Amino acid sequence: MSADSNVAGVGVGGAKENHLINFIKDNATLIALIVLVIGLSFADDAFFTARNLSNLSRQVTIIGIIAVGMTMVILIAGIDLSVGSVVGLSAVVCTLMMQYGVPTVLAVPATLLVVGVGIGAWNGFWIAKFNIPPFIITLGMLTIARGLALTLTNGSSVPVTSDVFPLIGGAYIPPMMSSIVLIVCAALAVFSIFRDVQQSKAHGVEVNMQELLVNGAVMIGGFALAFHVFTSYKGIPVPVAIFAVIAFAGIYTLNSTRFGRRLYALGGNEDAARLSGINVVRTKMIVYTVISVLSALAGIILASRLNGASPNLGTMFELDAIAAVVIGGTSLAGGSGKVSGTIIGALLIGVLNNGMSLLGVVTFYQLIIKGLIIILAVWFDVMQKKK
Amino acid sequence: MSEVVLKMQGIIKDFPGVRALNNVNFEARSGELLALMGENGAGKSTLMKVLSGVWPYPTYEGDIYLRGEKVRFANTKEAEAAGIGIIYQELNLIPGLSVAENIFLDRQFTDAKGRINWNQTFAETQKLLTELGINDIRPTDLVQNITVGKQQMVEIAKALSLKAEILVLDEPTSALTDKEVKDLFRIIRKLKADGVCMCYISHKMEEIEQIADRIAVLRDGQTIGEVTPIADITLDQIIARMVGRDIKDMFPKVDFTPGEVTLEVNNLSVTNPDLPGGYMVKNAGFVARKGEILGISGLMGAGRTELVGGVFGAYPDQTTGEVKLNGQKLDIKSPKDAIDAGIALLTEDRKALGLFLDKSISFNTTISSLETISSRVLGIINTQQERKVVKEYVDQLGVKTPSIDTVIGTLSGGNQQKVILGKWLNSRPDVFILDEPTRGIDIGAKVEIYKLLNELVQQGVTVIMISSELPEVLGMCDRILVMCEGEIVSNFERDDAKKEAIMAYATGSA
Ligand SMILES: Nc1ncnc2c1ncn2[C@@H]1O[C@H](COP(=O)(O)OP(=O)(O)OP(=O)(O)O)[C@@H](O)[C@H]1O
Ligand SMILES: [Mg+2]
Repeated sequence: MSADSNVAGVGVGGAKENHLINFIKDNATLIALIVLVIGLSFADDAFFTARNLSNLSRQVTIIGIIAVGMTMVILIAGIDLSVGSVVGLSAVVCTLMMQYGVPTVLAVPATLLVVGVGIGAWNGFWIAKFNIPPFIITLGMLTIARGLALTLTNGSSVPVTSDVFPLIGGAYIPPMMSSIVLIVCAALAVFSIFRDVQQSKAHGVEVNMQELLVNGAVMIGGFALAFHVFTSYKGIPVPVAIFAVIAFAGIYTLNSTRFGRRLYALGGNEDAARLSGINVVRTKMIVYTVISVLSALAGIILASRLNGASPNLGTMFELDAIAAVVIGGTSLAGGSGKVSGTIIGALLIGVLNNGMSLLGVVTFYQLIIKGLIIILAVWFDVMQKKK
Repeated sequence: MSEVVLKMQGIIKDFPGVRALNNVNFEARSGELLALMGENGAGKSTLMKVLSGVWPYPTYEGDIYLRGEKVRFANTKEAEAAGIGIIYQELNLIPGLSVAENIFLDRQFTDAKGRINWNQTFAETQKLLTELGINDIRPTDLVQNITVGKQQMVEIAKALSLKAEILVLDEPTSALTDKEVKDLFRIIRKLKADGVCMCYISHKMEEIEQIADRIAVLRDGQTIGEVTPIADITLDQIIARMVGRDIKDMFPKVDFTPGEVTLEVNNLSVTNPDLPGGYMVKNAGFVARKGEILGISGLMGAGRTELVGGVFGAYPDQTTGEVKLNGQKLDIKSPKDAIDAGIALLTEDRKALGLFLDKSISFNTTISSLETISSRVLGIINTQQERKVVKEYVDQLGVKTPSIDTVIGTLSGGNQQKVILGKWLNSRPDVFILDEPTRGIDIGAKVEIYKLLNELVQQGVTVIMISSELPEVLGMCDRILVMCEGEIVSNFERDDAKKEAIMAYATGSA
């Protein structure tokens, strides 16, 4: 058989003028983010300051951490509506434990285990084992977990008594250390890109120059900005560092591991995935557990930053997390999406919230604008698919 | 001689990285059935999609003439209005709607207030069905409740209700039973008599001999030779035009002495979830030996797919019975257990059960054996190794594709099948079960697959092949099981197997 006899004559006419349009389409969210940042910088002097951006980055981490998990859930064509309630419950459980004298170093992992793994495994069990729609199970858990949080606290807030605990959400890595960390990370990133390109070339794989340039530019820009912000204002906030590690782990897992592949397969065609030998039940259980643990972690960070836990913490977080994922280009139908997109989505929502507050936009309007943007993003995604 | 109704001239169609059609020229006449033949990926489906407006005008080059008049369709609606009906390789009906609703989708009969006139819709549908001599489908039947063969008829009725003068049928018989094929041919003959021009794509030579008037061959996006009356060309000549060389031996069976029993199945039953107390497979038992090709023959719906699915752990809740591999009893609760034990199953329904359509060739090839290309501890995938493995299979199986990163959904049906074959070969099974492995595959590739089965057998793999094509079973298998209504009714050694005897058992008349 002639494997490539009809491959030779490639004549794609009129591709040039489409280049720009395609570029914009491929990177729409990123471009929107950059435009928004530039616009806000001009609109309000207080926006592009190291202090504001540092705070912004800290605010983004909470939704960001949950959204990394949500990307995996949506990737397998699932949904988790209980994340906001898990945030509240874990904040309450952790602070209560400390109130009863459990030291922070024990309370935090215990909360992750009891609330995170516990609720996640419960959700996953029903969804995976009995094929109950995730929407229903996690909707139930949304009220159950909230109810538990309210019951445990009798509806009132729990103060933080420990000295160590507030550090999780409030401390900074000193500027000196921060610069070293950032420089090392940047160097590693550049090195890994170079190695990838080299390996691709060695194996005759075509390198997508456009994608490479965009990735490179974003990375350099991102590191430069991070360097500027964090070295001029107190250093890298600890929660931001935690988020960075989680985001990296998420990207790496989806891109480069067996588990990641299986998620794409599961979301793309569940029957085919099962018949290809993928343990569907186990994979789903793991995914729902991961997102619950991440939500519990977000709850702990939030309680630490606020120096206390109200049982109502995290209300409606599920919407922001889902919005970040969808704006980031992950398809609700499952099977396609990226954590990097989700991070951009989370940043976009964060910048929007921050900017609108700075500009004094009334909260009610903020909600409306956010909703419109989510609809716009989904519409864009659908239009993209159509062509 | 009848009038030339369709002429396509100098058609060129490019996809990113592939020229699917490269200067195609052909014509078809009213009242004839023109067979369009060619290897997988030759461009047959693409050509028909150009004709029917799926690929609208500026996306291709060249001219289309209908009754001598140049036409350029901007979409499928325009093509429909011009009298072109097409029945795609994949059926396009809406399962939850009735036959009548499907036929008159979007153009139901309404009264002045815009309410649907159901009586008229049903009556018109009945009229169409009667005209076609179809008397076992009712207009009110839900499409999901009728067989694939009947759905095919509904598609035809729909095309005719649009007053199609040119009817394209893209591999219409690939999922039909013998009886349904007969019905279809009866209708085709009637349409011919009514002067409809039909373009018929198929990989089945017997069909072409039976109903085609003339034949056009595509190879690598080009028409090879003139459109030739079927009487003026031999089968071998057609094949030579298609693949560019002679195929001497359709069934290159090698003699090989089977070894000891590897797979042993006892008392396997699969219950029918839609019919309490009913069975899809009942008390089936058989053995398969190392180094043999075991054929499973039977009519569609005889329970062959369910039998091997049961062995493979595809429906653990419905399956009872015992499966032994190399004398050891297996406890198979899921396909994963079966794969881990060394069993592979290439499924019959490629699109729904085999493919990750919007993923790359590479992804599809390695998904069932990721362990072999990733680190043990964290499961980190070695991309370079993956590329190497995938390239080997793509080359070995002759998959026609611009690259291994190509999305599998854009490949022609036959090439998709080859990728899935590669996927299962890559899991290095001891027992390889193939359910209709050559469906939709061109002659050249079929022979390649047969050769591959031979190689596997020589390496000591146990091959089990389900096939509805008797010549293939007779030509390639060492032993043949026949199934009828969920039971294994007979077991033929190669030398004793005769077509008539197998058919008799398969139809339950033996
Ligand atoms: N939408 C598409 N995008 C990219 N390439 C395509 C697309 N559709 C078809 N092709 C390519 O065009 C070529 C012809 O495909 P086509 O489906 O017409 O083959 P075919 O003759 O119908 O084969 P088969 O007998 O396997 O159905 C193939 O190389 C295929 O990969
Ligand atoms: Mg085709």
